[in-house]
Amino acid sequence: MSIFHYTDSLLRAAVMTLKLCAFGAVAGTAWGLVVGLLRASSFRPLRWLAALYTSVLRGVPILIVLLFTYYGLPLAMPNLRFSAYICGAIGLTLFVGAYVAEAVRGGLESVPTGQTEAAQALGLSNFQRLRLVMLPQAVRVIVPPWIGILLALVKETSLVSVVGLVELTRAGRVVGQESNNTLAAFALVALVYFVICWPIGQFGRWYEHRLAASGLRTVHEPAVSNLLGEDAEVPTGGAA
Amino acid sequence: MIRVEGLTKSYGAHQVLKGVSCEIAKGEVVCVIGPSGSGKSTFLRCLNMLETFDGGTVVVNGHDLSARSVDARAVRREVGMVFQHFNLFPHLRVVDNITLAPVHVSKKSKGVSEANAMELLERVGLADKARVFPKSLSGGQQQRVAIARALAMEPVAMLFDEPTSALDPETVDDVLQVMRRLADDGMTMVVVSHEMGFTRDVADRVLFMDHGVVIEEGTPEQVFGNPQHDRTRAFLRRVS
Repeated sequence: MSIFHYTDSLLRAAVMTLKLCAFGAVAGTAWGLVVGLLRASSFRPLRWLAALYTSVLRGVPILIVLLFTYYGLPLAMPNLRFSAYICGAIGLTLFVGAYVAEAVRGGLESVPTGQTEAAQALGLSNFQRLRLVMLPQAVRVIVPPWIGILLALVKETSLVSVVGLVELTRAGRVVGQESNNTLAAFALVALVYFVICWPIGQFGRWYEHRLAASGLRTVHEPAVSNLLGEDAEVPTGGAA
Repeated sequence: MIRVEGLTKSYGAHQVLKGVSCEIAKGEVVCVIGPSGSGKSTFLRCLNMLETFDGGTVVVNGHDLSARSVDARAVRREVGMVFQHFNLFPHLRVVDNITLAPVHVSKKSKGVSEANAMELLERVGLADKARVFPKSLSGGQQQRVAIARALAMEPVAMLFDEPTSALDPETVDDVLQVMRRLADDGMTMVVVSHEMGFTRDVADRVLFMDHGVVIEEGTPEQVFGNPQHDRTRAFLRRVS
């Protein structure tokens, strides 16, 4: 039977993958921002905890993280029911959060110390300094690795199939077996992953072009609105 | 207004301040001169707690900075600081640089803060630059914005850390002129400077520092006209 017979189930699986991506991207980025800011906290135990979190999560295969959330969450909170989707989404969030936190830390460290001193001298609190002075300047340094993290996320969602969730990869295998056309099924699945990743990568390239076009990567200046209409083929002048 | 007694500070084994004492009255303009590495900037930065110190007493506008309970933000709200490298916030327009602290630290309304910022910009001769980003300004203009930014908090005293050292010669005068006017208006000022002309004209008192101690202090006439110490004489010969 032609694999197009299974379009519906593949579509449903693609939607599941997209849902996992969206959840992981939004929640993971928010969580990573929190952890990254905690790493810049003035309270040492918080800094330490945040550093421990990022190094552990970055040092463990995401597969293990997913198995932990799938088997661990119901044990930790026996009164709540966790669907495979929620467990997978939380696992991905923890994973993305650790990498985003690291990018945020790097971004904050890229802001010159004079900025910290100026903010302090004006009486800003530590949190105000981070929010109003540091983060807006760190964004440029955070976005490029963040794009890479999102691309990794899209591909890592395939691992959620280990907890029994039917997402693209899992659906591809099932469809491949049933249709007796494994290669075609996986080719289709691969195409869908690519279609999800491509715009993210394009956004990253556009952002880098914009940085290059603005002349500098880490020195900060206004977002020039007319660059939005810029031709994507503008050479980057070697900025990578 | 500011009272310093026996201030000491070390970086590791190197003692940069070896018991500095001085008293600065309300409305007084005190210039601190001395060779580089003499500890004058460190001394200045102790006055708004950008540096911690090891020993001695520092009282600024009634706050005992050596007390454990001292509220650093309260001190910094009341004392403005101008840096050698301006340290304007590059992601904010000139006017937003000035209103940031009034809005977020003093909790003033945006409208009131902006009106005040425009008045300050008028005072430093940059009213037409309110909507531009710091990057498009010359060094001297940036420093005048930095002065306006500090003044926006209505400080009782202003600290200047080599405010003209990073400037192109042709923009120095505009900055000094703003500082002169500030002194005429009765602002309490502590100025670390290499501008001997300015010091001579504007200072009520001059402190000559070397190797972490105040070697000599007096009116500009005394210090420049009749220096008592060899080291002062040697330094003045070199800079004039």
